Amino acid sequence: MAPDAFTLGGRTFTSRLMTGTGKFTDFGVMREALAASGSQIVTVAIRRVELRAPGHDGLLDALDWDALQLLPNTAGCRTAEEALRVARLARVATGVNWIKLEVIPDARYLLPDPVGTLRAAEGLAADGFTVLPYVQADAVLARALEEAGCAAVMPLASPIGSGRGLRSPELLRTVLDGARVPIVVDAGLGVPSDATQALELGADAVLVNTAIAEARDPVGMAHAFALGVQAGRAAFLAGRMPERAHASPSSPTGGVVRLPDPEVPV
Amino acid sequence: MTRPATLTVNGEARPLTPGLTLHALLRELNVNPSRVAVGVNDDVYPGARAPHRTLEAGDVIEIVRIIGGG
Repeated sequence: MAPDAFTLGGRTFTSRLMTGTGKFTDFGVMREALAASGSQIVTVAIRRVELRAPGHDGLLDALDWDALQLLPNTAGCRTAEEALRVARLARVATGVNWIKLEVIPDARYLLPDPVGTLRAAEGLAADGFTVLPYVQADAVLARALEEAGCAAVMPLASPIGSGRGLRSPELLRTVLDGARVPIVVDAGLGVPSDATQALELGADAVLVNTAIAEARDPVGMAHAFALGVQAGRAAFLAGRMPERAHASPSSPTGGVVRLPDPEVPV
Repeated sequence: MTRPATLTVNGEARPLTPGLTLHALLRELNVNPSRVAVGVNDDVYPGARAPHRTLEAGDVIEIVRIIGGG
């Protein structure tokens, strides 16, 4: 049997759990958690070098990038123009032309700007990037991003880092319906069952960072997320039962043993 | 009024020495050029291959690196 794989940006992956590298207490824990997650796609951020204390934190040296697909993000960018600039810096810093596109003008809920995201996606796709845009679960926008040449669409489950889980499964369903590129649920997943739910609905993959990095045991939680994703995918492939408004007995309804009719009191 | 000869480096103004190159600026800032990327206005360069491009007054320079993120 062929492995259950999905293709993204011309590469084939068997793990449907992508993991971020933010918020880990140290590289040792991060490395172990990434190994336990089985993730093949790993996100990083781009930031200014601190000129008063120059140096770099060595993240690029801490992981085996021959085995992992590096996915830089444009986190912190508020406009399409900022995102274009950061994406181009990320490409020369890493030699990788993949970009997780974030255009987020709002700091309170970290909600993405759909117009700016689409504009930046068009520019980046034309510039040869493999673009993975982070957006709200909006089917019309998702189709427009596909048209713009994005390699995937990444609808949020709930606000970044909130751990509130999948808050609008009905909207996610509309994004999944008829999608021609992989759909990766990104942001807000808190526990493995949230990831399971996304995969059960038909998402191709999920991206998790805070839920793993802020767990009491990040390595254990990374493993649990890997299992949750596998369970959800297996359930999606197996096909769920129909939902019903009323009960439906699991046991045969005929041949039921009856006691004599109780006496009716006079 | 003459324009002050300054650069903007990572968001901060910095006096420009005439003839300063991008390569020399990184050395002056004591930035390890490997694993950084440098933007000069609309152009971007891998830090390790920063060119001997002469910087001009008003240039906006960004020196960035990869860090943990989601």
